[in-house]
Amino acid sequence: MIAVLNGAFDDISKAVRLYRVWIALAHEDIGDQHRRTTLGPLWMLVNYFAFVSTFVFVFVTKDASNPSYPAYVAIGMLVWFYLSEIITMSVSLFQREASFIQGTTLPLFVYVMRLTMQSIIRAGYSLAGCVLILLLSGQGIDTNWLRSLLGLLLIVLATPAFIMVFAFLGAFFPDSEFIVGNLMRVGMFLTPVFWVYSGQEGIQKYAYHWNPFTYFLEGVREPITAGIFPTHALVVTGYICLGTWVLALLLLGRYRKRIVFLI
Amino acid sequence: MTSIELNNVSLVYRLFEKLTLSAPGRRRSNLGGNIAKSGTKQVVQALDDVSFELKAGDRLGLVGPNGAGKTTLLKVLYGIYQPSGGRVSITGKVDALFNISIGFRPEATGRRNIVLRGLISGWTMAEIEEKMEEIIDFSELGDFIDLPFKAYSQGMAARLAFAIATALEPEILLMDEWIGAGDASFQEKAKQRMDELAEKAGIIVLASHDDALIRRVCTKKLTLRAGRVESLT
Repeated sequence: MIAVLNGAFDDISKAVRLYRVWIALAHEDIGDQHRRTTLGPLWMLVNYFAFVSTFVFVFVTKDASNPSYPAYVAIGMLVWFYLSEIITMSVSLFQREASFIQGTTLPLFVYVMRLTMQSIIRAGYSLAGCVLILLLSGQGIDTNWLRSLLGLLLIVLATPAFIMVFAFLGAFFPDSEFIVGNLMRVGMFLTPVFWVYSGQEGIQKYAYHWNPFTYFLEGVREPITAGIFPTHALVVTGYICLGTWVLALLLLGRYRKRIVFLI
Repeated sequence: MTSIELNNVSLVYRLFEKLTLSAPGRRRSNLGGNIAKSGTKQVVQALDDVSFELKAGDRLGLVGPNGAGKTTLLKVLYGIYQPSGGRVSITGKVDALFNISIGFRPEATGRRNIVLRGLISGWTMAEIEEKMEEIIDFSELGDFIDLPFKAYSQGMAARLAFAIATALEPEILLMDEWIGAGDASFQEKAKQRMDELAEKAGIIVLASHDDALIRRVCTKKLTLRAGRVESLT
């Protein structure tokens, strides 16, 4: 067990020292995706606005009594898009990086950080849109925003662990790419991204309480939309983060040298 | 002192049974090499009891039919594959050229690709800036260096890849086949660069099917067959 963890930490420390590589590659990835477009990466902001506005316009009538609904959806979409993207892209990560893995001695964690960095850059554009929507919807900047940052920080800390776990899953079980993709599409409707839970019974109750994504969302959203410190959400998120990191380290330590034979 | 020493090195891949929902007949990983049985598992014996020693100034040509283990041996020397048996002892900084396009971004300029390839090889920004003009000069790309990489011919890509790989004068340079991509003048220039590297107490290992190239560039020849050393001359 100690040897396995040492192997994982060795891979991670080498990758951290190569930070220039994954930062440069992530920037190139983002640049390449929008190189021929007029708006460039601003398209990510436009996409975010389009989704949030659609959901707000479609559902706002049902929740007309809730003035913070646009803020609720804006934060929900920000966190959901981020989590959904890292999970669906992670499953095929090692396959996409096959030429690098089979042709260089870069540590595996470099590819994990490349995707982490890419996702954070993309989320940065959505975050700018989210802040704008919050201000336009009358949510003034106050100390609650700082409490939200704690939730965001936990999500960012959990990101490399999520990526590793799903990347190993995809390497050993190729069909998981499609299974996870479909589950995440369905998951958006089973997670309180745009619907509000207010004590209903039935499937909504289970989808709210037994869904780990709920806690990631509420850890960021509750301070701003409800004005409360999300203790419960942050504790659950913290445990999920810790558990995922332990699993990720064990997978990295045990299987990092075998990935090259699998892809 | 730069050196490579392999003692009874073997590499056995286990054929991983990937978890998949596809039909049983399509479950196996698609790997090359000799398929053997180890208990109930199927394994690929890619290298078997390979031993040799190289010292500073040696230029080794790896030859053998497809699937003989040439590329696998290069990847063991580079550290991509961990041998499953035997001992690999390497003294010296190793660089490798297995794939011309690896690390090159089609949309980025040649100049930006030099930076990216340098970073991937572990260079510092100062080293990249110091070597930039020398790489551009050696590659003879001229104004093409500021055009996207996708506009380059295969020969131009090979020039740039070779110029970068040899710019920091690695003590051990591993190359797989690709050098034939350039034109005659580039090949002559590449040979001169490799001569210089070898004279500076380096080691070069080149895998190729081109006997003439091996004779022109290398001082030793190792023939592999089915993962085993057939001859070393």
